[in-house]
Amino acid sequence: MADDDIAAKNPQRSGTNRRRFLMASVSSAAAPAFVRAATADAAAQRNSSGARLPADFTLTINGRDYQLAVDPRTSLLDLLREHLALTGSKKGCDHGQCGACTVLLDGRRVLSCLTLAVAAQGRAVTTIEGLAKAGALHPMQQAFIDHDAFQCGYCTPGQIMSAIACVNEGHAETDADIRESMSGNLCRCAAYPNIVAAVRQAKPVMKTASRD
Amino acid sequence: MRPFVYERVGDWAAATQAAGRLGSAPASYLAGGTTLVDLMRLEVMRPERVIDINALHDSRYGRIEFGQNGLRLGALVRMADAADHPGVQRHCPVIAQALQLAASAQIRNMASLGGNVLQRTRCTYFRDVSYAACNKRNPGSGCAALAGVNRMHAVLGGSDHCIATYAGDFAQALIALGASVDLISADGARTIPFAKLHRQPGDTPDQETTLRPGELIVSFTVPAAPWTRRSLYLKVRDRQSYEFALASAAVALDLDDGAVREARIALGGVSTVPWRAAEAEAALRGKTINDQTAMAAADAAFAGAQGRGHNDFKIELGKRTLRRALRQAAALEI
Amino acid sequence: MANAAAPTPKANMGPAAPRIDARLKVTGQAHYPSDTPVGNPAFAVLVTSAIARGRIERLDLDGARAVPGVLDILTHENTGDLNDVKFGHGSGTSIEDLGPEIQQAGQIIAVVVADTFEAATEAASGVKPAYSEQTPSATFGSQGVTQEDATKVSPQHKHLPQAGDAEAALAGAPVVIDVEYETPTQHHNPMELFTTTCAWTGDRLTVYEPSQFVYGLKNGVAHRLGIDPDKVRVVSSYVGGAFGSKGTMTPRTAMIALAARRLNRPVKLVATRAQGFTIATYRAETRHHIRLGAARDGKLVGYSHEGFEVSSRPDAYVVAGVEDSAQIYAFGAVATKVNIVHADRNTPGYMRSPPVVPYIYALESAMDEMAQKLGMDPIEFRRVNDTMTSPIGNRPYSSRSLMTCYDQAAAAFGWKDRNPQPGSTRDGDWLVGYGCATAVYPTHTGPAAARVRLKPNGEARVQIAAHEIGNGAYTVIGQMAAERLGIDLASVTVEIGDSRLPPAPVAGGSNTTASSCSAVLKTCDLIRARLFHAAVTANDGPLAGRSADDLTLRDVQIAANDGTGESFADVFKRMGVAIIEEYAEFVPNGLKPQAIADLYAGKLAMVGGSHGEKVMYAMGAELVEVRVHALTREIRVPRIVGAFAAGRLMNTRTVHSQLMGGMIWGISSALHEATEIDPRYARYVNDNLADYMIPVNADVDQVQVILVSEVDHDVNPAGVKGLGELANVGTAAAIANAIHHATGIRIRKLPIRLEKLLQA
Repeated sequence: MADDDIAAKNPQRSGTNRRRFLMASVSSAAAPAFVRAATADAAAQRNSSGARLPADFTLTINGRDYQLAVDPRTSLLDLLREHLALTGSKKGCDHGQCGACTVLLDGRRVLSCLTLAVAAQGRAVTTIEGLAKAGALHPMQQAFIDHDAFQCGYCTPGQIMSAIACVNEGHAETDADIRESMSGNLCRCAAYPNIVAAVRQAKPVMKTASRD
Repeated sequence: MRPFVYERVGDWAAATQAAGRLGSAPASYLAGGTTLVDLMRLEVMRPERVIDINALHDSRYGRIEFGQNGLRLGALVRMADAADHPGVQRHCPVIAQALQLAASAQIRNMASLGGNVLQRTRCTYFRDVSYAACNKRNPGSGCAALAGVNRMHAVLGGSDHCIATYAGDFAQALIALGASVDLISADGARTIPFAKLHRQPGDTPDQETTLRPGELIVSFTVPAAPWTRRSLYLKVRDRQSYEFALASAAVALDLDDGAVREARIALGGVSTVPWRAAEAEAALRGKTINDQTAMAAADAAFAGAQGRGHNDFKIELGKRTLRRALRQAAALEI
Repeated sequence: MANAAAPTPKANMGPAAPRIDARLKVTGQAHYPSDTPVGNPAFAVLVTSAIARGRIERLDLDGARAVPGVLDILTHENTGDLNDVKFGHGSGTSIEDLGPEIQQAGQIIAVVVADTFEAATEAASGVKPAYSEQTPSATFGSQGVTQEDATKVSPQHKHLPQAGDAEAALAGAPVVIDVEYETPTQHHNPMELFTTTCAWTGDRLTVYEPSQFVYGLKNGVAHRLGIDPDKVRVVSSYVGGAFGSKGTMTPRTAMIALAARRLNRPVKLVATRAQGFTIATYRAETRHHIRLGAARDGKLVGYSHEGFEVSSRPDAYVVAGVEDSAQIYAFGAVATKVNIVHADRNTPGYMRSPPVVPYIYALESAMDEMAQKLGMDPIEFRRVNDTMTSPIGNRPYSSRSLMTCYDQAAAAFGWKDRNPQPGSTRDGDWLVGYGCATAVYPTHTGPAAARVRLKPNGEARVQIAAHEIGNGAYTVIGQMAAERLGIDLASVTVEIGDSRLPPAPVAGGSNTTASSCSAVLKTCDLIRARLFHAAVTANDGPLAGRSADDLTLRDVQIAANDGTGESFADVFKRMGVAIIEEYAEFVPNGLKPQAIADLYAGKLAMVGGSHGEKVMYAMGAELVEVRVHALTREIRVPRIVGAFAAGRLMNTRTVHSQLMGGMIWGISSALHEATEIDPRYARYVNDNLADYMIPVNADVDQVQVILVSEVDHDVNPAGVKGLGELANVGTAAAIANAIHHATGIRIRKLPIRLEKLLQA
């Protein structure tokens, strides 16, 4: 199912993904469900080959369920980018220092680079690709355009995800609040004042939208 | 990153049993992952088994409770939730502020309180495994920071084996307020003073805490006390936000008509462990806080400080940070 | 409410058109090179040297090879076929081998390729080198560094500015200052990591890599691999920040291309943030010795500036910013010298405003010190020494609006309320200081070629291998075509960032808008000429018999002044063509016609700045307010006002963003940024974004940009002076000057951290 969805959205990648997914599911079929280890015999798994088996789990991304089988070391960010062709989330440091990989996990902003994909199982992920509905931009996306809240655009998906959460958390009451609350998202082009203006613009629009 | 077995547990007993089954194989508990995944990617931490305890968040270990004994913070409460909690903000502002001034909104959403107090040092020579000398990573290998780039390193609590700074903020608030920490392991539960949790490096910098193998933090208890409301956390840094402290001070005061009945003081950014400044507290007892008494307390707090070059300024900065925090705390309207 | 991001255009300014790539960027659909899907990629991870100087004696690969999924490991033993590239020919360094000689810390010594990123990463840590190590020389003052006169080793800097007898002028000057300044190592740290993806189809190679110069990279990689450049394509549709770091070829590209060829499979590399500190370039640390002499009325009579710059052991990277600093005031006599200090380091390179950031910081700090010594207001001191003629050869400025910038910035800032006495202003616990400095950047224009296609319905496509690095290249190139073709911006499709397109210069030296827009303008004018010719030579059209000089293109019509018009569709029909496509090559005055063929071969020459019969500079004035905590000495910049003049401004929105971001870069340079070096190992210790400080949102409060109208017909046909590198020049001096004003303490070494102010 997930395979088909990806294929529909990204025809040029479908072959690759399908192949990797198939390879992964063969392996996982050979060693089923070691991930549910609270009930598994842990001692039996404690060898290097056991650690190299893929973890299989499900994840909801942008409202769609994905059945996955990946190396347990795979970060949520690498899962999105390298396995699911959702490359909107960016890698800027891979150590939780820049915010470019920010996504929403059950509605809260988190760093996908420091999140093991397997540890996000059963939870709902929202990425930049999941914001626009039927081609209509999210108010925060529109506000970023209106206020030129980026230059190179690389940190932008992370900024937008963070900004939406900033409003939803109630941390956008004053400009100083916004600045502080958005400080986990570095922008080397330094569009910061425009980002603050964008959050200011989007906040009442988001409130209206959520009331409707 | 080294390969590992990922295991997800549904209750504390399963968690500690899982750890107990491991024998000598290194295992780590995974909560927010902001330290663990970071350091696993650097290969500073190489657990063979990762035990995910996040499913326990829905238990009381994910809750904040006020009771007769004071404030109880579950270890799986996320930093952001404690920082934004109105009760914490009202009754223990130093806790809320220490959390709010730490890291970024994203990290505060992820990181658990239990994990936060166990965060590892930011010392470059520790974090980069290509440096041969690090007694914390590799006991007996030496300390590259002693004569290295050590602007961010500790001036209190160091040794000739390690001067790595304890990087956190929340722990300063806990130690100042005399919190205790509840632990659980396959051998049972115990409670220790938070001040006994961290170990100064001495000649064993690799041993950072008094936790027993497989032991887990389940909650913190902050006793009700007359000084918790008049409290604050002051953090001095190069940037306005998203930076570890150059120097910080957690201060809580109980004043009697302006005179200090009890002062609780902890220092951050300047020490190898969360640092309770008992000498400064004693110096203030019975005194009114003014420039002179604050300066005397600050001098007492840093009497044993030792700079290592780039970080010499932290002695003066730490004193000034404490002076400023004391003046601000004394002036609070509560 | 007014939108500060979209200033209302004044004279000689284009509209604040939203970026045409904005929607892609806010939806995550703008594909940066590492986002580009390739079929079944293998993943590469670099192994870099932990020592700075020595030799790999042994490389144990057993542990790495044992990791399941590992496909190949490149080392010095199997990469000998890669050709050498000389430094300075499009290559950022000559340290390009994987060993066995180690010439810098963080030199690439192995490339591990595996089926997954996770396996490659694990295996990379299993590569175990054994070195014979020599003590490295890290920087100024380290044992073992060597020093050279830049004029002897840098072909671009054989002659540095001199005028009159500076020694005599200084000796006779009534007021003299003699001061030294230092600037640190800085790394660009664009948010995008250094990535390379290579895919072969037969003998043809496609490289997806963020690049500021796709033609340079294409030719450079072809040379390293020993293949025909026409078989190499470089694609770089979006660059996630560059700031100079992606302007020259670095060693990784050919290695990844080779790995992909060996495996016959696409290979993808995303280097780590820490590796980015050593596998690319950086801004070298500098030192400056400045002497200024002035009469009591403030007129300068002499300026002496000796600079010292760090470079790598084998390469002489030189910025020599005295070329520019010597032009900007009526100095009287001038003496300049630049020295290169070779250390065991990676080779430095272009970083936003390479020559002027360190040299103008030093000069503008010295100007403040001199103003103070003279008892003059620092803006008035600059007014006294303002000039329309360079002191070097008495050549005129093509245009210069410096004092207009100062006057507009000062009015907006409230400079007149400044109490000149240092340490005189306080707001509660905070000491307040005001400071100012001049921003200056040489105007560069290079050769470029463009292809433009127009359809009868008014849709156009522009093709030029320019680069979108956040500069708004897509947008301003589209604007130029829309304007010349009389169509809406929305009707223009812009294709850039691909070496299959006609070449444009490196996105460096702030030349992109000037060069690319000049080429697009020229190409569009060929289309205009064809349309005009068809319209006026028609037997029966509405414009038949008119003079082409009276015509323009407007609203998808060929239009005459009197309102008569003929639609594109009708003219195309008469011409019997479905589309009109033109290609043109633009070579700026002062370059040989050969310049465009050289550009195709990846070799670039540019004109402007301090060279030529007229000197060409964009200028600005920056005024800042700093606050220093009276006790703990944190330094904050709540307010900064900059006014800038740079000829024609194509788009006030993109310009505003670049200037605003530039000033914040200046704040960063003054207070935050420095790469710390452990001199024992010649290694960078803060090679990550938690320890390498750049400003966060909370560090930036009020940043006001004032756009000053200026017309310049000399610089290039587009009338454009580049400004992407203007606003971060001088800011650090303005802040240092303001800190002095706030505290009375003069700090002459960047960055200014609070410990430097704790002594008082």
